[in-house]
Amino acid sequence: MGHTSTATIITFVAYILGVFVLAGFSHKLLSKKSFMGEYFLGSRGLGSWALAFTFAATSYSGGSFTGYPSLIYSYGWILAFWIASYMVVPICTMGVMGKRLNQVARKSGAITIPDVLRDRFESTALGLFSTCTIIFFTTCNLVAQFKAGALIVEETFNLPASWGYVGGLFIFGFTVVFYTSYGGFRAVVWTDVMQGVMMGIGVVILVPVVLYQAGGMENVDKMIHEQPPTLVTSIPPKKAFNDLYVEAIGEVQPAGMRYRHPNRADAPLEVKWNPNDAADGGPFIDVFLATNAQNETTSTANDVKAAIESHPAVGPLVNVGYAFENEEIDPHTGESKGATGVISLAAAKTLKYVFIRGDEALFGPGRKPDGSPFHPLGMAISFFFMWAISGMGQPGTMVRLMAFKESRTLKRAILTVTVYFGLIYLPLVFIFVAARTLLPHIPQEDSDKAMVLVATRVVSEMGLGYQILAAIFVAAPFAAVMSTVDSFLLMISSSFVRDIYQRTFNPNVTERVVKWASYTTTAVVGTIVTVIAMKPPDFLQFIIVFTGGGFACTFLFPTLLGIYWKGMTRQGALASMIGGFFIIVGLFSLGYVLPYFGIDMAGGRINLFGFHPVFWGLFGSCLLAIVVSKLTGPAPEHLVRRYFYKQPPKAD
Amino acid sequence: MAESSSQPALEVDPIYRNSLREAKFILGLWACCFVWTVGYCYFYGYLSHEPLAGSTGPAVTNLLGPLKSFDRDPKSLTYPLDLGVPDWAFYGIVLPWVICTVLSFWYGLFFFAEDDLSDGADEEEE
Repeated sequence: MGHTSTATIITFVAYILGVFVLAGFSHKLLSKKSFMGEYFLGSRGLGSWALAFTFAATSYSGGSFTGYPSLIYSYGWILAFWIASYMVVPICTMGVMGKRLNQVARKSGAITIPDVLRDRFESTALGLFSTCTIIFFTTCNLVAQFKAGALIVEETFNLPASWGYVGGLFIFGFTVVFYTSYGGFRAVVWTDVMQGVMMGIGVVILVPVVLYQAGGMENVDKMIHEQPPTLVTSIPPKKAFNDLYVEAIGEVQPAGMRYRHPNRADAPLEVKWNPNDAADGGPFIDVFLATNAQNETTSTANDVKAAIESHPAVGPLVNVGYAFENEEIDPHTGESKGATGVISLAAAKTLKYVFIRGDEALFGPGRKPDGSPFHPLGMAISFFFMWAISGMGQPGTMVRLMAFKESRTLKRAILTVTVYFGLIYLPLVFIFVAARTLLPHIPQEDSDKAMVLVATRVVSEMGLGYQILAAIFVAAPFAAVMSTVDSFLLMISSSFVRDIYQRTFNPNVTERVVKWASYTTTAVVGTIVTVIAMKPPDFLQFIIVFTGGGFACTFLFPTLLGIYWKGMTRQGALASMIGGFFIIVGLFSLGYVLPYFGIDMAGGRINLFGFHPVFWGLFGSCLLAIVVSKLTGPAPEHLVRRYFYKQPPKAD
Repeated sequence: MAESSSQPALEVDPIYRNSLREAKFILGLWACCFVWTVGYCYFYGYLSHEPLAGSTGPAVTNLLGPLKSFDRDPKSLTYPLDLGVPDWAFYGIVLPWVICTVLSFWYGLFFFAEDDLSDGADEEEE
């Protein structure tokens, strides 16, 4: 709220203009080369830097980029473990398939991933199913990304609440659809490079600045050790100032605090406390909220604060204060009116918050506000698969592996990204652990803004140079969203134009038609997504994780085994793809449906045995590929000969 | 994958052979990191190894059996080399990260075969 400075707006606008200029240059190149290969694949001419940064930028989506810092802020050092597999992500995602996929694609002249699969197995069904999967997951993801982009624009330009979201959506939508459809693949890659370089510079400079302000990492760790156990309430939906922080300071330590609905009309606000109640890991400070005649809660956070402070037994045990930026300021006097929002709670519901010690941020598993573990073993294992293995199977990044010029390009790109990720992901942990001491008590659902807040606060008293640096950080999530959206837009229009229209219906389509079909599809898809996003979905992060996992479960094994295993058959590939698709869609949607039958699945997905659905999807997809291929083998002789053996000197 | 081919005259594609060798190295590296990092961090970096609260079914956390003796005491925390990184994260994450970076360079500079991709490929561009 209100963190916009002139420097931010100037940087933002300059950034958008820069993107348009790049699109213009890229468009010029389009007219010189074979249109489709250039528009969707940059004529396989990517150099090392371009490959490295387009890869890095595509793999961190908007969600993960704002999500990661905010999670560090909330849970601390455990996030170093959460992100740990990035130590091998560059070499895994680019090295395992890179050279070979590039070669296979060249052999058949493929320009999309469905192209590769269709040619490698000579199966139209495989081509079409993979195309439909791409369209399905990409559309889901695009809607979520568009929402993220719109929110950032709304926030940055401080647009009024009445039309801010829609306004932000149009600004975001227009920018990204325009430069993507006009410039094509090369424009996308160039903007990725620009974004990647900015981000890298930003992080590298911000680390010493933040650490200096926080008095060094040792000091940060010491302060974290000494922080009293604290809880910060965060009550959805977020519409009012109703968050408080509570610190435990007394002799007796409560386990936490519960907001409870008294379940009767016209009840007064009551604080209850029984130090001997050990149920549910207690004792808890129970706050029974006041209700009106309609049995709706009416207590404001201010009321709760006063009631706790005046309670003879509970008052001395805790300090209560307003959470970060959670005070209403009187516009005339400039004085704080406190947290004036009503805490709304559905009948018979309880919101539980536990006290979390400061030093828990230095260890695993990290606890969520309600006390459940953030990163239990099953998740730790799953995330090692999620980043490194599932990262290999993203069509959006795989298609980039088909675009580089020579082996040497790939090698240099792997080394560049290795260094780049090392410089970005670990230092971010330092920055945002330090942020906990610089800006305490940010409620969980606001912690997405941690990145912006840190960047702007920390440099607010420094020179203009630093302010522009901070502005780059504000633009960073926007850039991250854009770099994901642009590649997805291209992927979806290449699906329509290349995979469905040209390869299935009309192989002899002329270049002119292809050209206009490509521009139009990219623009139309972008417009449709903008319209859908006007009524935005909830659970942004959820959708992003779902689609990323979905891609991996459908594309990784058909492609990976397809290029390395001679014995893979088209039936095996198809089974692997369909199986993976239904496992992940099934586990996610069951988690969504079961609560209606009274089975509660926290997180909206089913973590079988504590593992993430992505883990199961990958497992099933791999198993099906091998078993079905064995059953339906051997693979056609001419395909094996074509893709796995040196070609005899051209006879035809 | 060592199915002998029926055509002795055919020569295995060198790019396929080299890529497979490289892929095996990388997946091996991934597996080592996985075992070391997950193992080390879970055993030495967690305050609590309790079964998941509220989980009914068998979860992987529960299958490992009681690990109470590994629950970390916050007071025992050290910061190796005074870098401000908690010890478990240093040995479990930072150290292998550095090693992986070195190995990635070794892979790129000495292991990776710079195959000629244009060779034998029928470019579709005219």
